[in-house]
Amino acid sequence: MIVRRLEVEERALASPLGRTSPLLKLAIALAWLVTLAFSYDVRPAAVIAAAALLAGLSVGRLAPSRLAAGVAPLWAVAVGIGVTNMLFSAANTDPSNAVLAMIGPLRLTAAGVAGGIGVAARVVAVVAVGVVFGQTTDPTALVDSLVQQGRAPERFAYGALAAYQAIPRLAGQLGTLREARRTRGLRAGWHPRMLVGLLVLAIRHGDRLALAMDARGFGSGPRSRYREVRWSPLDAAVAAGALAVAVVALLAGRPG
Amino acid sequence: MTAAASRATFGSGGSRWRTRDIVVTAIIGVVFGVVFQVWNLVWGPFDAVFVFFPPAKNLLYGVWLVPAVLAPLIVRKPGAALFAELVGAALSAFIGSQFGPDAILSGFVQGGAAELVFLLARYRNWSIPVLVLASIASAAAAWIHDWIVWFPDVATDTQLWVGVFMGVSSVVIVAGGSILLVRALRQAGVLKGFPAG
Amino acid sequence: MPPGGCLLIVGPSGSGKSTLALALAGLVPRELPGDWTGTLEVAGLDPVSADGPAVAARVGLVFQDPEGQLVMDRVEDDVAFGLECRGWRPGAMRERVPAALAEVGLSGLERRRTTRLSGGQQQRLALAGALAPEPGVLVLDEPTANLDPDGARAFAARLARIRDARSATIVLVEHRVDEAWPLADLVLALGPDGRPIDVGAPDEVLARSRAAIEAAGSWLPGPAGASRGREGRRPRPAPTVGLDAPPVLAARGVRFAYDGPVVIDGVDLEIRPGERVALVGANGSGKSTLARLLTGLLRPLAGAVWLGGADPSRLRAAELARRAGLVFPDPEAQFVAPTVRGEVLAGLDPGDRVLADAVAALMERLGLPLDDFGDRSPYTLSGGEQRRLSLAPALARAPRLLVLDEPTFGQDRRGCEALEEILAEQASGGTAVLAATHDERFIASFADRVVRLERGRVVADEAVA
Repeated sequence: MIVRRLEVEERALASPLGRTSPLLKLAIALAWLVTLAFSYDVRPAAVIAAAALLAGLSVGRLAPSRLAAGVAPLWAVAVGIGVTNMLFSAANTDPSNAVLAMIGPLRLTAAGVAGGIGVAARVVAVVAVGVVFGQTTDPTALVDSLVQQGRAPERFAYGALAAYQAIPRLAGQLGTLREARRTRGLRAGWHPRMLVGLLVLAIRHGDRLALAMDARGFGSGPRSRYREVRWSPLDAAVAAGALAVAVVALLAGRPG
Repeated sequence: MTAAASRATFGSGGSRWRTRDIVVTAIIGVVFGVVFQVWNLVWGPFDAVFVFFPPAKNLLYGVWLVPAVLAPLIVRKPGAALFAELVGAALSAFIGSQFGPDAILSGFVQGGAAELVFLLARYRNWSIPVLVLASIASAAAAWIHDWIVWFPDVATDTQLWVGVFMGVSSVVIVAGGSILLVRALRQAGVLKGFPAG
Repeated sequence: MPPGGCLLIVGPSGSGKSTLALALAGLVPRELPGDWTGTLEVAGLDPVSADGPAVAARVGLVFQDPEGQLVMDRVEDDVAFGLECRGWRPGAMRERVPAALAEVGLSGLERRRTTRLSGGQQQRLALAGALAPEPGVLVLDEPTANLDPDGARAFAARLARIRDARSATIVLVEHRVDEAWPLADLVLALGPDGRPIDVGAPDEVLARSRAAIEAAGSWLPGPAGASRGREGRRPRPAPTVGLDAPPVLAARGVRFAYDGPVVIDGVDLEIRPGERVALVGANGSGKSTLARLLTGLLRPLAGAVWLGGADPSRLRAAELARRAGLVFPDPEAQFVAPTVRGEVLAGLDPGDRVLADAVAALMERLGLPLDDFGDRSPYTLSGGEQRRLSLAPALARAPRLLVLDEPTFGQDRRGCEALEEILAEQASGGTAVLAATHDERFIASFADRVVRLERGRVVADEAVA
């Protein structure tokens, strides 16, 4: 399941959004996140969520079903965080706010509910941006872009990419560890010992992988590039569009 | 070439990052990224337990901060806390189910705070107090970040409870857990060639 | 070693043949600490003192575990990785990458994700990655040990072509030698202590030192190894032992799918006490899934499994463990306790004295007496010891059915023989043993019945003489 979600559709990667610099997309995602932090209002979050999802469907060529599946888990998170903000809102303890309901000892006020909905909308926006970024970005392209456009230290960037290749293997081994416990009649659920087992296997694997990388001359000298990453007019267009969305979101959030 | 000379030349490498330090640190981040996904599946039903007092749920928060202490404790290189935590965070951002780009920001903040403590200890002192401090620093950074980004409306007294639970969680799960994990891994013989072995 | 030749190094586990391979590539003692004496010269360089990159530039290395060498996400990037590290110019890389992929028969898969390849393809990808920088020496450390027979044959065929081109000197470390032996110009046989037994032309070594090499626990090619199985060195009960007894296990019309396509499709199977069944089939034919269905880890979508008269997927875990044991391919991936003692006793009643004595006796028989091994970490045991330990929790419960998934995974000859002995003993005691395997040597010496799966269906089920 983890593995399947990590795999990005080739169609989405060939789309304009898929060919946009991953570093730029990451910067946009973080800039939008900051934009959202300026306001508790629902509207800026709605603007950004809508922009992200529409961009994913149009210039990202994401299949609607895939986008929906990616966004699905976010509703639970959004509701959870929204409700927490509602129930434990500072506004609820302000006696001048009208009480909507009492839940046990907790007062629920209109101001509290409004705030909770605002934060829930923020969750929706952030996760929507994350899903569209994840579904249109190739891991190799991300690392190439981080190294060549973002000057990230390349030994660490490619080391991390190599470690990512172990995900299907680790997920499988975690499954086997759980099954192995069941075949002994042990509780099937979570146990810290499984974490030890998984870490032992992971560190062994990491050691072997590092050896294989050393054997191929990793980090031994100046590295050439199989894939040159360059800024393109497409990147400029995407940046302009993202800026426009941020401005609209900020204006939408202005009271009155 | 004598045995002694070769040992002296090829030890665990001082503060230089060997390839194995890089890959093992990254893979610790990946393991926790994977575990966190499964953890959500396994613990989902337990949410009900915390319905009556949601701040108590933060007792489990520490799980996400373990790489920031465990990885540096094993490889003992400058930047290990930040690198491991960022790798794990980026994994969950990529899977996209957690908190999107904010996962990367969280990872940076959480790993960076622990890193700062190890830096102040000059990457030489790996005693329990330093590990506890790094764990608490990481949790404190996470707490402030979450307050600003995710729980801006929540009343201050509730936030203080959340902070207390996160602090307890970080000492028990992050510092305590890392120490126990390193002990178990050393016993299993996989830390040979690392400073912690 | 003359340039362009092929040196085959054989030896049992622990003879240091892998370490020698790493030394040739300059990785020992550079990256792994240890003691070092003697001299070594590779392509005019001493790999110990020479510059790491200088050695890496001349030596290409392929390891045993295909997944342990995947560095990049896409096939072509993985081949290019070593070239980038050595600073090749982009234009030269664009020419060399497709050529290296063609050499190993992976043309057309350039954009495929490396984790999506089969084990055999992954191993040929590793070969392409090692060949790409045109190394003077190609070192392969048990490259086919983790592959199925088809994957191993395809790999050996590609290797033979590379040898015939004589562009690189090949050093091949193997303990399964049927396919490797014909490639060798020179054979070096190591003993268990790491000292050389013999070195020379393949035929001469075979003529001179066959007995010594076999005694050291290495396999030799051809009739020697194969006949041992067919003749059956050990007396074994007639395959008809439990044919009139009621079946231990019965499966009827079992169908299963994970999320996608059907993996197991209408399987009928009966296994009787004392039977020794090999479950064979290509990778992806559903062997591991069927093993999980038969032992109650998975529940069929349609059809039914009966294990001693009950549906295993509805049994309580402890009861299920008493009826059927399941052993996974990689011993290390199934350890649940910090010590050997904890590993055997996990899930058993710690207060049961009779059981404790039985477990002590069992561990004695497995060559892992608790007095010596009880407090050790399972992860610090040798491969053969780990394999035997992984059987112990199942054997301690004396189940009527023992299911093993790839039991000879990563085992040398001694490991396999010890395993066969344990399984034979179990079968003669009335336990039915089902092993999902593609190890042909193991099938020949272990099985009295072979069930073949193809795309989730049983296509053959016959007794073997």
